[in-house]
Amino acid sequence: MTWVGWRLQRTESLVVLGTLGLLAAFLVPTGIQMANAYHRDGLAACLSFNPGPTCAGAVGGFRQRFQSLIDLSNWFTLVPGLIGVLLAAPFIGELEHGTYRLAWTQSITRGRWLAGKLGVAVATATVAAGALILLFAWWRAPSVHLDGRLDTGNYDTTGIVVVGYTLFALGLALALGAVWRRVAPSLVVAFVGYFATRLFVDLSLRDHLIAPLTTTYRGTSQPGFLYNAHIISMYAALGDHEIMSGGGFVLGGQRKLAAPRLGHAVFHVVYQPESHYWPLQLAETGLFAGLAAILVLFAAWWTRERAA
Amino acid sequence: MSAGVAAVRTSGLGKRYGSRWALRDCALEIPAGSVTALVGPNGAGKTTLLHMVIGLVEPTNGDVEVFGRSPRRDAREVLPRLGFVAQDHPLHRNLTIAEMLRYGRKLNPSWNQQLAASRIERLGLSQKQKIGRLSGGQQAQVALTLALAKQPQLLVLDEPVASLDPLARREFLNAVMEVVVDDGLTVVLSSHIVAELERVCDHLVTLAEGATQLSGPIPEIVARHRLLTGPRGDVASVARVHDVIRESHTERQTTLLVRANGHVYDSCWEQHEVDLEEIVLAYLGYRPGNGASTIPAREAVRA
Repeated sequence: MTWVGWRLQRTESLVVLGTLGLLAAFLVPTGIQMANAYHRDGLAACLSFNPGPTCAGAVGGFRQRFQSLIDLSNWFTLVPGLIGVLLAAPFIGELEHGTYRLAWTQSITRGRWLAGKLGVAVATATVAAGALILLFAWWRAPSVHLDGRLDTGNYDTTGIVVVGYTLFALGLALALGAVWRRVAPSLVVAFVGYFATRLFVDLSLRDHLIAPLTTTYRGTSQPGFLYNAHIISMYAALGDHEIMSGGGFVLGGQRKLAAPRLGHAVFHVVYQPESHYWPLQLAETGLFAGLAAILVLFAAWWTRERAA
Repeated sequence: MSAGVAAVRTSGLGKRYGSRWALRDCALEIPAGSVTALVGPNGAGKTTLLHMVIGLVEPTNGDVEVFGRSPRRDAREVLPRLGFVAQDHPLHRNLTIAEMLRYGRKLNPSWNQQLAASRIERLGLSQKQKIGRLSGGQQAQVALTLALAKQPQLLVLDEPVASLDPLARREFLNAVMEVVVDDGLTVVLSSHIVAELERVCDHLVTLAEGATQLSGPIPEIVARHRLLTGPRGDVASVARVHDVIRESHTERQTTLLVRANGHVYDSCWEQHEVDLEEIVLAYLGYRPGNGASTIPAREAVRA
């Protein structure tokens, strides 16, 4: 079944390889430029937090040159979804074209066929996700240094969550395809579902996946540990008045607030500290991989019981 | 035909999809070594029956046995003894013939590569050819090769020739006959076309609206049926003794196709032999219970 599984997934494997190749063709040259600039300007020595006069210029220069590229590359967080749904195609194709009947009337049981077929897809997805992580971890090293691992773009592309994302997209497409038995619509809907789920997790669920911490500080001097933290919400109060919430100052009478008075303001911050990086990654990976496992098992069960 | 183990035996076999019964209360016995045609119009339940025989579909009720074993519960034992070519003979179109054969070799311990290779060669095909580039007839032949090379004892063909042109149809059936003669394996093939089947098959089962009507050796079936023509008039006297499968009337004359229970003595009826195709066509429009007495098909013919 191993040879059969690989052979019947050859086209998709090549497309995945091609996708990784295209990505590398974009990331490797820009990554080299970025790494060169990073070393030339001695950014590694600059603590991005509280950079000081010399570093401020270097960091600013680097950002001016590369920030838009880094922001653009945040979209590459969709690539795991693309790879995941694509690897579901060989399985759904067997259902669409009726070739599973050929497979099920050879001498192997359908359990073994399902295990082989789905196992090959899961293995490929995992390896491809690993390659994505390596590629992005190298490319984003300067960004990780400057903005921290919890920065959404860094967090989404350089951590093991990528494995969870890829498997989730694969599982979603397999489950839809098992029921729908048509490749094209199943892949499209699974990809949309992947995108929606990721948005929900990125924008809302992740903040509370692990209980966030709260802290308060006075004045304009933000404590260092907040710099690489993921800020969920913050507000500032002056006496009984809330003068700032979220990212900006509350409109109204406080607009004329003078800098010296800001020093008396008390800032309340809800955040995920840098040290929550691994617990968060593990929890989110567990969430996505767990969903993926349920979806893959559902696809197998449904196909085994319902297909004929 | 009573000698030997039945290749396929079903009893009370039924399959329901939602509220519709695709097959109902089907009792059949297909003797080992026979070549059985399963005939019926589209939607009669042929595919459902065959899928239950090969274990693709779980019956809603009743039992099916292949060489005395359940194709679902004993899949490990039954599958290696089965060869199956599905309707439209699906194959992996982007594989070469060689790769398709390798697929068979990997998935079947009893695979006979020699047999497969020589069949492909005799078909005038090269193993380097892509499946997707082959004609429908050639694809059917490759699918048959795949089914035969696993050296089955029961070959099940679902509408193998429906999509083929007459020449390819003839070639395919010739290939089936060849293996029957050579290896003596049991073959069940379904078709909605009766022509040509008589040349290949020695047993017949007809299905209509999810029920079996007729089942048995073809010579017995043919011997059992008569075409009666006589002056227009009383059919009831015939129907009391025999099963009237089809009746048609002109102004002066009545024609009956009957399944005779014993001799037809009535001298006002002129008797003719009927050929298989006409019998089958008559059955496909026949509703047991609507007038004619209901007799389980198997007993009726086998008795």
